[in-house]
Amino acid sequence: MTQRTQKKPPAKSGRNLSTLWWILGGAVGLGLIVFLAISIAGEEAVDDSIGFGEITMEGDLLPALADPLNDVAVGMIAPTVSGADWDDNSYSISPDGTPKLLVFLAHWCPHCQAEVPVVQQWLDDGGLPEGVDIYSLTVATDRLRPNWPPQDWLVEEGWTVPVIMDDEIGTAAAGYGMVGTPMYVVLDGDNNVLQRISGEIGVAGLETLAQIAAESVG
Amino acid sequence: MSIEATVVYNNVLAILSLVSLTGAVSLVIYRMVKGPEAAYLLGDRAIWLAWLVALVATVGSLIYSEVIHFVPCRLCWFQRIAMYPLSFVLLVGAIRREAAVKYYGLPLALTGLAISIYHNVIQFYPSLEGGSCDPLNPCSARSIEVFGFIDIPFMAGAGFILISVLLALYVKTENGQ
Repeated sequence: MTQRTQKKPPAKSGRNLSTLWWILGGAVGLGLIVFLAISIAGEEAVDDSIGFGEITMEGDLLPALADPLNDVAVGMIAPTVSGADWDDNSYSISPDGTPKLLVFLAHWCPHCQAEVPVVQQWLDDGGLPEGVDIYSLTVATDRLRPNWPPQDWLVEEGWTVPVIMDDEIGTAAAGYGMVGTPMYVVLDGDNNVLQRISGEIGVAGLETLAQIAAESVG
Repeated sequence: MSIEATVVYNNVLAILSLVSLTGAVSLVIYRMVKGPEAAYLLGDRAIWLAWLVALVATVGSLIYSEVIHFVPCRLCWFQRIAMYPLSFVLLVGAIRREAAVKYYGLPLALTGLAISIYHNVIQFYPSLEGGSCDPLNPCSARSIEVFGFIDIPFMAGAGFILISVLLALYVKTENGQ
């Protein structure tokens, strides 16, 4: 292939730095970048255990959610999950006779970030029927990911739903067969699964799930 | 790798990506001001520099997946497909002082850049890629965030931009200066 070659114009003093100077400059620049990166990281040092809770779980794990329209978990008994929020308020998702709406949230998930204010507004507007409880679970918490820790995010959003923080190995998420966030699970009073769905559902979806939970009474 | 080391590593790559963007913009401005003579600023070192950017991006992404254990998402893989060959093609081109290397490298770099731009867009508008996040492999969710806006596809995009500019402005000179 013919190569286009351009002749160098008459030399001007100081026009080009030598390759050595380029390498030296690059090395010094890289050193400065590493120094700056370490300085910034030092300012961000925090406790890595924040954001996780301790989970106790009884019962069989639900199968992973594959198809919400033909969910094989519907009718199965969900495991009883107990845990606490960041203020050590303890909660239990157990067959206590009250139907429940569960919301699984990940702090780094943009869909969860979009859905949380929608859910909160729906609750503030009185959308949750009488006789239905709602719980949220913070799952897939990751120190390295944005919007960490989850409690700062939820407090900032004015989240009033009781929260159970999943542990580092994701016991609660695995127990409910979570494959994506946000995930909603509707349980009847005996912890039987009535519905599982993953993704943003908005107010219309919340109304539907709440109605399913409410209709399970009696 | 510890979390502290990972944070430093993220910061290093984030700053490098900003330096890359600044360098790319500076080169374009320099070219506009100086005209064709701008090719002598870097000479053949432009190809070596483009190769260095591709090498850092290649090794950097492998460290993310193989050492830090981030699972590359679908779009990350497409960007890898564009970036990884550049670290070989540009090395051969630099060693052989092949002016034609820009014609092999640019299509890869520009394709990778287009995917990076799309990846960044869906991170700002997650609904474009669906309604939920797969915890193991989400394209719309950010794996890391430095300075509030820099994530891995941003870094990749910065690399592709600098490589593209270096290749586009490269003109082979007689003595390589």
